[in-house]
Amino acid sequence: MEQIIDYIQFVLASQMLNGLAIGAAVIMMALGLTIIFGLLDVINMAHGEFYAIGGFVLMALLGLGVNFWVCIALVPALLLPFGYAIERTLIQPIFHKGDRHILTLLLTFGLSIIFQDLLKIIFGPNPLRPENLLPGGSEIFGIFMPNYRLFLIVAGGAIVAAVWALIYKTNFGAMVRSAAFDKNMAGSLGVPVRLIYAGTFALGISLAGLSGVLLAPIYTVFPTMGHDFILMAFTVVIVGGLGSITGAVLAGILLTQIQAIASLYISPVWTEPLIFGIMVMVLVVKPQGLFGKFGHG
Amino acid sequence: MVDVKSILMRVRADEKQSLSALRLICAGFTFAALVFALIAVALDDTFYLRLASEALILAGMAISVDLLLGITGLLSLGQALFFGLGAYSSALLLIHLTQNFWLVVVTVVAGAVPVSLIFGWIAIRSRGVYFALITFGYAQVISRIIYNTRSVGASDGIVGVPLISIPLPFFEIPINDPVAFFLFLLVVIVAIVLALWWLMDTPFGRVFPAMRVNEDRLPFIGYNVRAYMIAMYVLAAVIAALFGALYPMLRGFVSPELMFFEMSGNALIMVILGGVGTIIGPVLGAIILTIIKSIVGSFTEHHLIVIGGIFIALVLFFPKGLTGFLRLRVEALMRRRREEIQS
Repeated sequence: MEQIIDYIQFVLASQMLNGLAIGAAVIMMALGLTIIFGLLDVINMAHGEFYAIGGFVLMALLGLGVNFWVCIALVPALLLPFGYAIERTLIQPIFHKGDRHILTLLLTFGLSIIFQDLLKIIFGPNPLRPENLLPGGSEIFGIFMPNYRLFLIVAGGAIVAAVWALIYKTNFGAMVRSAAFDKNMAGSLGVPVRLIYAGTFALGISLAGLSGVLLAPIYTVFPTMGHDFILMAFTVVIVGGLGSITGAVLAGILLTQIQAIASLYISPVWTEPLIFGIMVMVLVVKPQGLFGKFGHG
Repeated sequence: MVDVKSILMRVRADEKQSLSALRLICAGFTFAALVFALIAVALDDTFYLRLASEALILAGMAISVDLLLGITGLLSLGQALFFGLGAYSSALLLIHLTQNFWLVVVTVVAGAVPVSLIFGWIAIRSRGVYFALITFGYAQVISRIIYNTRSVGASDGIVGVPLISIPLPFFEIPINDPVAFFLFLLVVIVAIVLALWWLMDTPFGRVFPAMRVNEDRLPFIGYNVRAYMIAMYVLAAVIAALFGALYPMLRGFVSPELMFFEMSGNALIMVILGGVGTIIGPVLGAIILTIIKSIVGSFTEHHLIVIGGIFIALVLFFPKGLTGFLRLRVEALMRRRREEIQS
């Protein structure tokens, strides 16, 4: 009996807490993806690169002597106009053509190639790592956790709450939801639809950048750092339902928990196929994912 | 009253003309390739012939992406999966089992059918971006499994694939002869392009344009849309696997990179560059991309910026690609010729 409790306390629970930290990271990435898809119907293939850009902007700012805690607010703020400009100059022109799903996907794919190479030119291919400002660990319920991972869980929760409040409780959010539901009707009722589109894209981008900042101290910063997370983020968004905020959060927690627990029993190499297999099964049963788009009922 | 028959006749005539413009482009490409081979032989070159052979193999994979994107309207982000599986099975067969070219090719193709049937059945349940992301996931997951599996070489891949010859009815093609192998690949590519054009004009192939125009109406006149999509997915996978099987014969090795997203993405760039839905377009795209890479690559290793920039410009301004541009020119030329003859 004691052995079982020990096992739960020291192996299972700590693994689950660790999974929660990874889950927070994945959910932050998935939120940006799902918001952009929910409103614009755009699959942002460059999301992983925006995440990397967040990490590199952080490194640049730290190099200039800016405090890490300031960067957490500063980097997403800097990425907002960047995302806004990309939406207005590149996505808007092809947005009204026939197959915008495919065209915008191709466009963001082209962006991802350029960004990857640009980051390599500017910062070099080697990983950089900012100083961890929360070293050491603490004990909760007898489980030892690195402080920074605890901070990540808390920050993830706060960001999810903030995004939820922004979309469901503010004027801006009401406009976003109305535009997602019926952009022509929203437009004729005075919602500045184009502005909202660009603003939402910028919001998604800055969320990706924010995850880049928050994850930098534990995962290091390098030009292709987005690749490690992007498949998981896509999987989470698909299982949760493209364009659903609740779906992204729930699927994010669920899948990362499964991954964390499964990796106790099977080799980590096989956890990814397992998660992907779950996604395929969800799609076979419910081709549109577990939850619907926001703005739709 | 609208004369439906005359409209249909006119549409058909337009299609015929468009196709003969494409045929002319294909003939031009074949001629240019033969001239290139001749020059290469005269200059006793190996490097550029090998490069061109690789471009032709990649062109095969681009054709497979175009069959899905341009003909069926499905964007696959993981076609490299079948290319890579073909390459791995070919390498393993050549090393461990047999060195008979035709046996290897037939086995790889036969293996690709059931695998793609299962994958296609699942992926085609969902459409649009879901399909794109599922195919993306297939390739990512399987490449990562292979990357971590010792018995198939893990991250190192498999080296030391033996050099074989291709037995043909009257003669043999030794694979280490660059000119012969290049010409062989050229014949295969042109034959596949012609065969696919023929296929597009059969009752089977004519379903796909109809599907793109109105997918919802087809079931009412008795077509099972999903079955046609799955059939095309299998055909595309078979073509990708076939050219994958040729890859280790040319390069002598395989590596997990063959299945990575970079490969699928490259094929996609070739398709967009050359012209979606034309089948010959991706071949031109593959040649051009290879040329751009080797020219820009000789100045800087950061050729991706240039390629990405060209790609974005194409998506924004020339979604029909090079073939779309050429086709208009050739069609205008042909119309003028015809008018001259008539007058």
